[in-house]
Amino acid sequence: MPKKFMYIWFMANSKLYKGSLVTIILRLLNENDKMYGYEITQKVKKITHGELQITEGALYPALHKLEAEGLLEVEVQKVDNRLRKYYKLTKKGSTETVTKLEELQKYIAMMQNLVKPKWSLES
Amino acid sequence: MRTVNTQEIAQLYEFTKAHFVEFYDLQTELVDHLANTIESIWETKPQFTFEQARDASFKKFGVFGFMEVVEQRQKVMQKRYLKFLLKELQVWFSLPKLLVTSVLFIAFYLAFSSVIAKHFSIVFYALLIVFGIYKGSILRKQYRLRQKQSHKKWLLEEYIFKQTGVIVLFLITQQYTVRYFLDASFNSVYANMGMALLFTFLYLIVYVAFELLPNKAEALLQQTYPEFSL
Repeated sequence: MPKKFMYIWFMANSKLYKGSLVTIILRLLNENDKMYGYEITQKVKKITHGELQITEGALYPALHKLEAEGLLEVEVQKVDNRLRKYYKLTKKGSTETVTKLEELQKYIAMMQNLVKPKWSLES
Repeated sequence: MRTVNTQEIAQLYEFTKAHFVEFYDLQTELVDHLANTIESIWETKPQFTFEQARDASFKKFGVFGFMEVVEQRQKVMQKRYLKFLLKELQVWFSLPKLLVTSVLFIAFYLAFSSVIAKHFSIVFYALLIVFGIYKGSILRKQYRLRQKQSHKKWLLEEYIFKQTGVIVLFLITQQYTVRYFLDASFNSVYANMGMALLFTFLYLIVYVAFELLPNKAEALLQQTYPEFSL
């Protein structure tokens, strides 16, 4: 996806961003065995070169909701002098990730057609 | 690179508490997040004091601070408590406990079909409220004792031990509604069956919420919070 389009997608329209937050979290956890909240925010920042910044006020409610729905499970470990809460995908979460990614890809394709339609002479 | 020390971690726990995060699980998660952000701030701005870096990391939570996180957590835990309650109730509608439920239902039905149905209804409802008040006060005492011993608050624990007050209040406020329906129902078989079913439900809910869930509190808390036993 072009960088400028991504910026409009994620930064200018908070509703679209909020709708994609769950998919982003699930996708990241699908690629990594387990992650903690701060790590997720940094990973997203790194992947999108700082274009998308997940706000803390939105991230934790989303993580807790996914945990309550049984899509994520938690693990707590002592790291240095503090406790760290890690999130992992459950089996149900892995299945849901595939569904959510398919939905998002279809949506992106549809939006690209709307924004930049492929003109054809055929009727 | 400078890292957040143990004393500063304790200060961060106090900081979250001062910003209306009462419960330990959420405090722990937010403390780790703040500590990570503070350390990353120190990487680029080593001249920042702990307080300056802490305030800068707190700003990232937006104008409402931790409020949104706390509210969502409360919703999640309310649902979880309800899930545990319904799961326990379900057991009473499958064998072998279904037999006990059936006996209770038949007893209520016979009582509501008798000539002194009105007296029975008052006694049954009063019993429920008296038991609720008595057991509720015991549970609140237990909760206070648990708080003194652990110095940690868990939202689910609060629901298990203090939600009972809400149920008792509901029963007290609804006594006239129930009385009204009881007065209207004593002439019909189906209505009596309906009232017997309602009382069976009420007795089971009170028993599960006031007796079974508090007895299983340790297991439920460990299942919900991995950090509970740490």
